[in-house]
Amino acid sequence: MPEEKKELLQALSDAVFNMEVERAADLARECVDAGIDPFEAIEKGLIDGINRAGVLFEEEEYFVPELLLCSDAMYAGLDVLRPHLPETSETQSGRVVLGVVEGDTHDIGKNLVKIMLEANGFEVIDLGRDVPPQQFVEKARETGAAFIGLSTLMTTTMARMEEVVNRLKEEQIREQYKVVVGGGPISQGFASRIGADGYAVNAVEAVKLFRRLQGA
Amino acid sequence: MVKMTGEAMTPSERLRAMAAGKPIDRLPCVPIMGNGAARVIGVRVAELRGNGPLLARAQIEAYRLFRYDTVRIFTDLFVQAEAMGAIVHCPEDETAYLRAPAIQSLDEIDRLRPADPYKDGYLPAQLEAMRIAVQEIGQEVPVTGALVGPFTNATFLRGTDAILRDIYHHPEAVHRLCQLSLETSLRYAEAMMDLGCTPSITDAMSSGSVISRKAFEEFSFPYLKKLVDFIHSRGRTVTLHICGNTNRILEGMAATGADCLSLDNAVDLAEAKRRVGDRVRLMGNVPPAEVMLEGSPADVEAAVKRCLRAAGDNPKGFIVASGCSLPTETPFANIQAMMAAVRRYGRWPIDPELLEGEGCHGVPD
Repeated sequence: MPEEKKELLQALSDAVFNMEVERAADLARECVDAGIDPFEAIEKGLIDGINRAGVLFEEEEYFVPELLLCSDAMYAGLDVLRPHLPETSETQSGRVVLGVVEGDTHDIGKNLVKIMLEANGFEVIDLGRDVPPQQFVEKARETGAAFIGLSTLMTTTMARMEEVVNRLKEEQIREQYKVVVGGGPISQGFASRIGADGYAVNAVEAVKLFRRLQGA
Repeated sequence: MVKMTGEAMTPSERLRAMAAGKPIDRLPCVPIMGNGAARVIGVRVAELRGNGPLLARAQIEAYRLFRYDTVRIFTDLFVQAEAMGAIVHCPEDETAYLRAPAIQSLDEIDRLRPADPYKDGYLPAQLEAMRIAVQEIGQEVPVTGALVGPFTNATFLRGTDAILRDIYHHPEAVHRLCQLSLETSLRYAEAMMDLGCTPSITDAMSSGSVISRKAFEEFSFPYLKKLVDFIHSRGRTVTLHICGNTNRILEGMAATGADCLSLDNAVDLAEAKRRVGDRVRLMGNVPPAEVMLEGSPADVEAAVKRCLRAAGDNPKGFIVASGCSLPTETPFANIQAMMAAVRRYGRWPIDPELLEGEGCHGVPD
């Protein structure tokens, strides 16, 4: 890789990592002008930056505000680069229907999972927050998603996760989806008990889990 | 005074003795009762938050059923923000949640006013519940009222995503929202204390699971400190609860001057004891969801023993408690198991051998 290109990609990664929204957009434009493959700019610049932020998040150096601002910078760069991507057919294996279960509006954890999944090549269909169980099932069927991701911060709404799993069973389509659960009160024990396929403690671990399940 | 449990001390006597360093019969135990109180008297959760007499009755009956050591009037975290204009949704039989913040943009801060606890939203109803509970059971058990911390309340006024970005982009606006929230908290705290109730601060969003220690120190600590100082100036003690992982802000929590820190199960109690236990009482941290809601009575007993091993000998005292408010559907059997375990293993002075003893074997950790 020519030195100049390498420096530009590193600067783009740093802009995301350092939460610099405008700089990320400017550098993405420079990448386009320099004729750098937009895929490469996304992967080695933007995604590299958000994943480095993810490492610091796991190490408790970055917290939610920092990760949110890094993601703002990442999306600012993506907005610039996306129009330059060739039309692609999305792989269905990486499609995720994601949302906060009904009765809960705490969506920060869900948003962080979305950011990290998108950064790592998953297509996320975000149903938002306060989502009724049936809506997860319908959306997953409609979009042919491989994963259903359920989030809640509240103990009062944990039972909604089990309802989603049960509805999938009732409709005899449980095996078609990997169901992943997460959020403050959730544990591996709870995930196992309700018959979910996996639990991750945070957004960075969630990406690893989705990858493992994808290979499974 | 009638002591229904046959125990040697009432909760008030026990806590007073502990604070004074005098002998106690056993460690205090507080399974932090939330809307589960509705289950005790067979009403729906949504009926409680705006109905003072009913809320009082639910909490009084829950106390009489379980005989824990502190009563707290609480329905949800949003009553103060709601009284300042936030929109709260109340499902019929589940805990209320925030539907929309009070403001949509920072320009609107100017129209926010501190709440009047005697007039705005459901604060008068919550105060009425506190008044009734203080009258009926205040002689034997401390009656506290949930008081939401300024930073957490500010997140409800502005919206969580927005305020977390404001920390970097508009720090001065965050301070204004915290200051407005503090003024509401001070007025509400004063109203509580005027009727003999003790404020109990709960500050979910100041958690190390959400913001950094630096952000805590800038946007949460100064306001908490003012609140604690005010409560102390009125001759009352105060507990500070922050949810989630607070490992990195334990010293900061202690430095607010709070008399007791209520720690969630993401915190290592033994480490908390080592770092701040010589300055402040600790309470916690039986996992509310994994153990209290989902576990068996045997799991509860094992968790109580774990807490006692970690912090039962905390220099400034220890209260066995749930790490956070109990989920509404927590089985009564688990709450009873928690009380029974503390009556047995928390007898003072604690017998370390009992904690290592038979009950441990075969119980999943």
